[in-house]
Amino acid sequence: MGKRTIIPFGPQHPVLPEPIHLDLVLEDEVVVDVIPSIGYIHRGLEKLVEKKEYTEMVYVIERICGICSFGHGWGASASIEGAMGIEVPERAEYLRTIWHELSRIHSHLLWLGLLADGFGFESLFMHCWRIREHVLDLFEKTTGGRVIFSVCKVGGVRKDIDAATLKEISDTLNALKPEIKKLTDVFLEDASVKNRTVGVGVLTKEDAIELGAVGPVARGSGVYQDIRLTGNGAYHELGFEPMIEEAGDCYARTKVRIRELFQSIELITKAVELIPEGPIDVPVKGNVDGEFVLRLEQPRGEAYYYAKGAGTKFLERMRVRTPTNQNIPSLVKMLKGCDLADVPILVLTIDPCISCTER
Amino acid sequence: MATFKIGKVVLGSLFKKPATRMYPVVAREWQDRTRGHVEIDVTSCITCGICQRKCPANAITVSRDTRTWEIQRMQCVQCGACVDNCPKKCLTMKPEYTAPGGEKVIDTFNIPEAPKPAAPAAPAADGDAAAPAAGGGLKCDTDSCVFCGLCARNCPCSAITVNRDEKQWTVDKSACVQCGLCVEKCPKKCLVIE
Repeated sequence: MGKRTIIPFGPQHPVLPEPIHLDLVLEDEVVVDVIPSIGYIHRGLEKLVEKKEYTEMVYVIERICGICSFGHGWGASASIEGAMGIEVPERAEYLRTIWHELSRIHSHLLWLGLLADGFGFESLFMHCWRIREHVLDLFEKTTGGRVIFSVCKVGGVRKDIDAATLKEISDTLNALKPEIKKLTDVFLEDASVKNRTVGVGVLTKEDAIELGAVGPVARGSGVYQDIRLTGNGAYHELGFEPMIEEAGDCYARTKVRIRELFQSIELITKAVELIPEGPIDVPVKGNVDGEFVLRLEQPRGEAYYYAKGAGTKFLERMRVRTPTNQNIPSLVKMLKGCDLADVPILVLTIDPCISCTER
Repeated sequence: MATFKIGKVVLGSLFKKPATRMYPVVAREWQDRTRGHVEIDVTSCITCGICQRKCPANAITVSRDTRTWEIQRMQCVQCGACVDNCPKKCLTMKPEYTAPGGEKVIDTFNIPEAPKPAAPAAPAADGDAAAPAAGGGLKCDTDSCVFCGLCARNCPCSAITVNRDEKQWTVDKSACVQCGLCVEKCPKKCLVIE
């Protein structure tokens, strides 16, 4: 046994967009233990339910994260709707699904860019983010915001998308497909990229289940798990099947996200064809009196929302459990036994979102 | 030969227009829906303060005493909650973002006094949306009231209570901001703000 050294990783590190701290216990160049610590970006947003009316709380909850903000807005609205027994119009469910899948596309493109940056492929990083800009433009055109959308509200959505714009969304995404393919081929076929991802940080299916991994981390290890299968929004009508890879290494997790990118484009195209006419919201009256739990598949994995009202205009409790929170134990497992040089890539492959984790 | 593929993409960009804009020389094109900043039409504002209460970021301060409407531009998160909830629809969301700067911008607007109604005893019979005069209070002519409760349901401040069984109509004057929504919604036109 060699001499043990502890290397601090983060909270400020070039691969980390957000602060998390890992104490890496090394023997020579091999990581033998990892002690994660969080707490650098806690904002106490859940506590604000006591001061903000439940209708406005949706805008607070969606600010938990800048990448999955639409999903958080949807989760908060839908959990409150569940507690109040509100049935949302079908068109609103379709619009939510379309925006949610657009979020997934921009989140995965952002992540691919970060991964490319992580292994030093700067031009690939820039090109991934160049394509992401087109998706952000679609968001701005339809919602009014590029990062924070504020379109979900309790009872439905605040803005409709007309037929011409829906077609434009579908056409733009389908036109982007060949461009995205050119870039994703680099991730999947380039020998120098594969050297950094294939066989690195293997998480077995048993470990993924035992450690409660969610999202692309679980699916990359062969776990058949995706909350979209439960049929939130319009997914039950879109014929959704999750993308599964068996290998459990960084390459498998990358491949799952890349396949999901193209799948999201298919889902949006199908939703645009099937979207029914009708109202986009229902009037909301009264206060929340009851509780409700909702799960939603965010780009990073399963998110859990709990809303409890006490008959007043303020909620009594709002709880959000985010996918990164669930994936940190899997990250610790993956890191044990890896080389120090692989740590940045491994940290990135769970797509960490610390703002989500700490709220 | 994936390396060659990215090579083609990278070399191709040498002969294309840049993907980025030469900001600020080239102006940004705004979308119609872009949520940039909130604007107020001071002539129809009644300083009810609902926008202040609804703002998740505590960016708006409304003073009924000094008749001012104040917004901290850097604190506003452009969610549009104030625009949605304004009973007089005097707030609008405009596309341009607040210009970047080193100081926190606070914009203050003076709200002119609402014109006194010419004949306070005879308010507009068609539920006119004109700003009600400050002072006085909301009154209900219980003789013509059918106690339908529409006023209570539409009151943004939950200031009105209607008991249909006992034929009672009450208003909490400390909560009422005299926005006039109930007057507009009343099907029997039995409400007046004096």
